[in-house]
Amino acid sequence: MNTLPQTVIRPEFEASDLDAANHGDVARRLTAYERLSNMDSVRKFSILILFIAAWEIYTRASGVSHFLLPKFSDTAVALFQAIWSEQLLIMVWNSITILVTGYAIGLAIAAVLTTAAITTRFGSDLLSTLTAMLNPLPAIALLPLALLWFGLGSESIVFTLLHSVIWPVALNAHTGFMSVSETQRMVGRNYGLRGMTYVVKLLIPAAFPSILMGLKIGWAFAWRTLIAAELVFGGSISDTAETQSGGLGWFVFSNQMDMQIPHVFAGLFTVILVGIFVENVIFTNIEIKTVRRWGMQTS
Amino acid sequence: MSTPMDTLPQLVIRPEFENTDIKDAHTGNIAVELSIVEKIWNINGIRKAVILLGLVITWQIYTVALDVEPLMFPSFLFSLERLLVDLFTGDLIFKIWFSVKVLLIGYSAGMAIAAVLVLWATASRLGSDFIATATAMFNPLPAIAMLPLAMLWFGLGTASLVFVLIHSVLWAVALNTHSGFKNVTETLKMIGENYGLRGVPFVCKVLVPAAFPSILSGMKVGWAFAWRTLIGAELVFGASSGSGGLGWYIFESSQNIETEGVFAGLFMVILIGIVVENVVFRNVELRTVNRWGMQR
Repeated sequence: MNTLPQTVIRPEFEASDLDAANHGDVARRLTAYERLSNMDSVRKFSILILFIAAWEIYTRASGVSHFLLPKFSDTAVALFQAIWSEQLLIMVWNSITILVTGYAIGLAIAAVLTTAAITTRFGSDLLSTLTAMLNPLPAIALLPLALLWFGLGSESIVFTLLHSVIWPVALNAHTGFMSVSETQRMVGRNYGLRGMTYVVKLLIPAAFPSILMGLKIGWAFAWRTLIAAELVFGGSISDTAETQSGGLGWFVFSNQMDMQIPHVFAGLFTVILVGIFVENVIFTNIEIKTVRRWGMQTS
Repeated sequence: MSTPMDTLPQLVIRPEFENTDIKDAHTGNIAVELSIVEKIWNINGIRKAVILLGLVITWQIYTVALDVEPLMFPSFLFSLERLLVDLFTGDLIFKIWFSVKVLLIGYSAGMAIAAVLVLWATASRLGSDFIATATAMFNPLPAIAMLPLAMLWFGLGTASLVFVLIHSVLWAVALNTHSGFKNVTETLKMIGENYGLRGVPFVCKVLVPAAFPSILSGMKVGWAFAWRTLIGAELVFGASSGSGGLGWYIFESSQNIETEGVFAGLFMVILIGIVVENVVFRNVELRTVNRWGMQR
């Protein structure tokens, strides 16, 4: 008890020198600059502009060889030239046609595999063995084999694209279907859904976030594989195939070979633009119309 | 005017009755002892091993029985033999080491840059905007497309491979980590602030563990992209850097029309991929997010 400190009782007092409470509107109107810089898109856009300006100024001021880093303005000119007079759009179209063909066939095969996997145990084992083995295998590594089997031509590229799409899509769809809750399944059966209607009306919507994830990963792998394949073998393919002018990857590669560096940058811009279009327009729209509308995913 | 009562059906009361011809309830153990075969077949690993064996045997029988041209499609055993021969007597092991080394350098450099960027993004709005703009722009750009430029800037050699690898890792990791940080709940952040954590300790002790599932998935995506990019880059330009790597081994074999060498290289690629995904990342997962109860 005697280790406890003594209690100190301070004398009461009343502060008398307080100012009158200053109540009022403390909100302040933001200045025009503040309001502008509070807009997300304005800030991001100005970063982009700054980046471009820095590029342009650096290349002009340091006099770096335009073989190493061309001016932004040259690159922009090269992009327009390529679009108007060098059939860049046709090359983009060639790439996209091959990509869509491979992607669509890949999805169909993935659908068959997934159906087998959710209906039978053997199918499920087969799918998990195959994906465990083949998912870590980069599709581009199959290109030499594909060239041997299918010869130079778009078949080889489609074959490698198939490989890059099937495994991520099948894997994600399968886990998606497996994790549909028992409650939802029972609700579906209660409504008398069976067979195809059961799959289409219940399983697919319930597993859609996971399926969409698979589709996105499949697209990312396919796009990378396609560019790599064209970058490498696009030339030999364009020589033999009926299409005159290879694809986007070939555009980058051939211009690098010709030391047309502004055109290389123009090709990279196009690759970025196509990528942004697919990811931010197509997939975001699918997301908004499905999983977000159904309240399965926020923002 | 009809009242509701008129429309109601008449109440029928059925007579009581007792069913007498029910047999005695048959109580007993209805569980059937599984046969040995069924028990073995129920083990997951065994079923998968059997499937794998089945695939391999089909391959072997198909190529031997139909006498397929080995240049087009060599038999399994032939490819395996080539793999073992090259592993133990050839320089395949050095090629693998070369690839793994380049991959590790590129991966760790990419992670370090991503960490710096994300730190900047958590500290200031400018950094956050920068990372959002940069990832939106560079994430859709396949790293391999940068290879022609990289070769121009850094010459033929390891440096350009590392540059491309950094590009493939950096954006995927930065994007996932940044969005993971943004999604950390306000409660957790306030607890951290309450403990007086600030700056780097706040990031390391609160944000990183809280966002770890997302960071880990970014690392996995980054690994997948890097592995694909590396093999693709080596497949094309690997020869430039002295001994070349695994991708170069595949390309060389296919140029020499030694298809069994191509398959041997593919086996190795698959093996390394499986080891990294199922051993390295699985272990990281078990020790972090699974142990912390963030993921089953």
